[in-house]
Amino acid sequence: MWNQLEVRRRYDQRIYIFMVFLFCLMLLLFGRMVQLQWVQYSKHFTQSEDNRIHISPVLPTRGIMMDRFGQGLAVNEVSYKITLIPERVENLTSTFNSLQKLLGWSDKQVQRMEKRIQRARSDRAVLLMDQLTWSTVAPLAARLHQFSGVDVVAGTHRYYPYAIQTSHMIGYLSLVRDVDIKDGYLRMEYVGRSGLERIFEKRLHGQLGYRHEEVDAKGRRVALLKTVAPVTGENIQLSLDVELQNVAAKALGKRTGAVVVMDVHTGEVLTLLSQPGYDSNKFITGLETAQWNAWLNDAQRPLLNRTTQAAYPPGSTFKMIPSFAGLAQGLQLARGSTQCPGYIELADRKIRCWKKQGHGHVDMHDALVHSCDVYFYEMGDLLGMSRLTQEAKRWGFGERTGINLPPESKGLLPKERPSMGRRNWYRGETMITAIGQGAVTVTPVQMARFAAAIANGGKILQPLVEKNKPVHIVRTLDIKPSHLTTVRQAMRDVVADPRGTAHRALSRAKWTVAGKTGTAQVVMMADDEARTSSDAANHQDHAWFMGYAPFENPEIAVAVFVEHGGHGGSSAAPVARAIIDAWAEKQRVIHEQVGP
Amino acid sequence: MNIFHRLDRVLLLCLLSLAVIGMTTLYGAVHAGDVSIWYKQGVYWLVGIAAFTVMCFIPIRMIGLLVWPVYLLALLMLILVPFVGDVQMGARRWINLGFANIQPSELMKWALVLLLAYWFAMREASSLKAFAAALLFVGVPAGLIVIQPDLGTALVLCLAASAVILVAGFPWKWFLALVAASPFALYVLWHNMLDYQKGRVLSFLNPELDPLGKGYHVIQSSIAIGSGGIFGKGYLEGSQSRLHFLPEQHTDFIFAVLAEEGGLIASSILFLLYGILITRILIIALRAHSRFAGLACVGIASIFTLYVFVNIGMVSGMLPVVGVPLPFISYGGSALLSMLVALGLVMRVAIESNGQVSWQRPSSPLS
Repeated sequence: MWNQLEVRRRYDQRIYIFMVFLFCLMLLLFGRMVQLQWVQYSKHFTQSEDNRIHISPVLPTRGIMMDRFGQGLAVNEVSYKITLIPERVENLTSTFNSLQKLLGWSDKQVQRMEKRIQRARSDRAVLLMDQLTWSTVAPLAARLHQFSGVDVVAGTHRYYPYAIQTSHMIGYLSLVRDVDIKDGYLRMEYVGRSGLERIFEKRLHGQLGYRHEEVDAKGRRVALLKTVAPVTGENIQLSLDVELQNVAAKALGKRTGAVVVMDVHTGEVLTLLSQPGYDSNKFITGLETAQWNAWLNDAQRPLLNRTTQAAYPPGSTFKMIPSFAGLAQGLQLARGSTQCPGYIELADRKIRCWKKQGHGHVDMHDALVHSCDVYFYEMGDLLGMSRLTQEAKRWGFGERTGINLPPESKGLLPKERPSMGRRNWYRGETMITAIGQGAVTVTPVQMARFAAAIANGGKILQPLVEKNKPVHIVRTLDIKPSHLTTVRQAMRDVVADPRGTAHRALSRAKWTVAGKTGTAQVVMMADDEARTSSDAANHQDHAWFMGYAPFENPEIAVAVFVEHGGHGGSSAAPVARAIIDAWAEKQRVIHEQVGP
Repeated sequence: MNIFHRLDRVLLLCLLSLAVIGMTTLYGAVHAGDVSIWYKQGVYWLVGIAAFTVMCFIPIRMIGLLVWPVYLLALLMLILVPFVGDVQMGARRWINLGFANIQPSELMKWALVLLLAYWFAMREASSLKAFAAALLFVGVPAGLIVIQPDLGTALVLCLAASAVILVAGFPWKWFLALVAASPFALYVLWHNMLDYQKGRVLSFLNPELDPLGKGYHVIQSSIAIGSGGIFGKGYLEGSQSRLHFLPEQHTDFIFAVLAEEGGLIASSILFLLYGILITRILIIALRAHSRFAGLACVGIASIFTLYVFVNIGMVSGMLPVVGVPLPFISYGGSALLSMLVALGLVMRVAIESNGQVSWQRPSSPLS
């Protein structure tokens, strides 16, 4: 049964097979190593670096915005936040109890914080409270050693020192939304949402910095490998003079309206005020829905920027348009005069002048000074709608001014032909347009630009919001100097002539002012019922004043609009007076300082 | 000639090299953490080398006397495990002896291959009766280990045993028939298993199903190995190990530390050393003066082979995760001790066989 030779032979053979098998296994392992360490090396190396290196962003400081004299309008305030690292806290409940006692937190706030902690990683700092002042955190900072894991960290937040007055121009920031994250924003960043904060977002934002940290498997930082410092955003100096803006705001008081002040040579906007404003700081601290809805539903529409986004009938401030058109066309009426009996007859209707008893014998100068309607009814009638709107277009109405503050309203001008299949405008419609009523509306910024163009000799400028930017002349109008002189002198006499509509308000201003008042009807004059009805305030006329100063050597153009303000001369012109006086005084001080 | 002159130099050199590599790698694995582990392993090595030396003086005949008692002791402990064992990592595998935790299945591997060597010292595995008895020696402990449950160790046990049985002359045709029948057996087994058992088997075979559990380990160790590249990241520079991305990096996954820091060069050197060591054990088996001694060497060689292949296969993501140490490199006192004792036995075989003719006929293991 035992074939001894065979047994031994088989034993040897099997051991040799074992050896071959062993060799194959080792070769297999070697092959696997070649695959992992040679062929797939770069993939695995990248993965190991991804494991090891945690890149955490460092937010840049947002650039600030200041006015033309360096006053901060959108700045970064130092604030404090309270953070907590859960795993370093011995007893979460007792910690919260003492914190609550110390800082006066509500139960609801504490619940929210506890929820945030549950969702967070236990080795990372969780934000408990943000944007606290030093006086708020001081009691905690003094006792910080009693609270292990709790820390007070200094940081910055956006602050608008003149929030109410500058809210429409400066705008506001708010925390990122999902759409922004697609554009590369991070979870904790703030993004410009409106106004210049939105327009200049790219310039103000700055560049993210990074910290390359080595972390272990539990995500704990082991070492700092590399830092790329963030680049602070650009500081932007605006053309605005916030003092002047404040003067305008004070002069307007509680009234709804808009004020635009422009440098007549450069187009730089010195004041861009829309009232009522809103407190843009509330967006930074986290706007509550109730507040937002209150603003949205407020009848005075505080969120609307009345200087650029809203257009109103210009009323009599429009009368320089038919004046220029008439002069350019060489119409008899432009150089002559007419009789104003207080109305003009058109077919079976009477269209009234604002002065029932009439102005008597009026030429263009008188018509502008006293704001006679009848003279311009006739002028409009002679010109026709087409020439009237063309002239208005030349002076920049019916088009966006191009101010870097979109969205901007174009305003409204009557079309060449009326709609609804009619071939021509009725004569009455043209007449009404000539006195700035009917189908014409303008924005306050258009009006300021118009005043500036009259002052600077016909240069239509793009309003600039930044200081020291190249002047951009949209177009230069070809106007005879004598025509300009005629209108300018009439505008001066609006103020200078004792019977001028703005005489009372502006004749004693520090600079000689040339201008024009406007009282734009909201409802037709005949509709007397509405004027006495319960919501009379909403049917009050809009008050306008536009003009420039000094008359001899113009520097600034002003447009004041008071919504339902009543008479331009008594309601809007005093605002212009305050502004011009303030600016004149400022210039005087500057000249004295620079001078001998 | 004294024992010192009859020592197998190749075996000794391999062992010394592995000791150096093992201690060096272990320091790399623990230097960022608990260095006391490294000192403990140093002590284990000293104890282990003492045991190895003692083994060199114990005649193979005496070993033959111990085979049955050791096997029965191991079996007894395996039976006791479900009643007195400690639960670790979801399975009851350990017995606490007060001064040490021991894993009966660990002892059983060595005891079983020695018992099979003893059993087939005077028998051919082509004898049906002898084979049937051997099947019982393997099947009982394997079954006990499966119910712990520890599928991996049971598989290693069976594979090591089959290596001895094959060298002992198990006919190829029977072997092939068994291989052919195994799918059917597995099918029947699968359908008689309960759902939780099936789940265990599935997660054993495919750890990727559970990427945060064992799958995470294998992914991280593959990254560690691969990121070492050809030359490695440098000693103590392995980021995966230094920053603890590697699981169990001083025990079962220590190979990843070596491969990350030493690259393809270090891993190749390690394979070469293992290849030489195991081949040398097989050569000693060929030269053994008795069939028992030879088969014992084959059994020991097969356990080493399985340890190396299963461990590295697991760490590099080729094989399922089985708790198997990397010989002489993984941290662990009892594993190191048992492997050094086994290698001491091989050395004793080499010493006794030196200058003698290798065995020609079966003989009693006790003679």
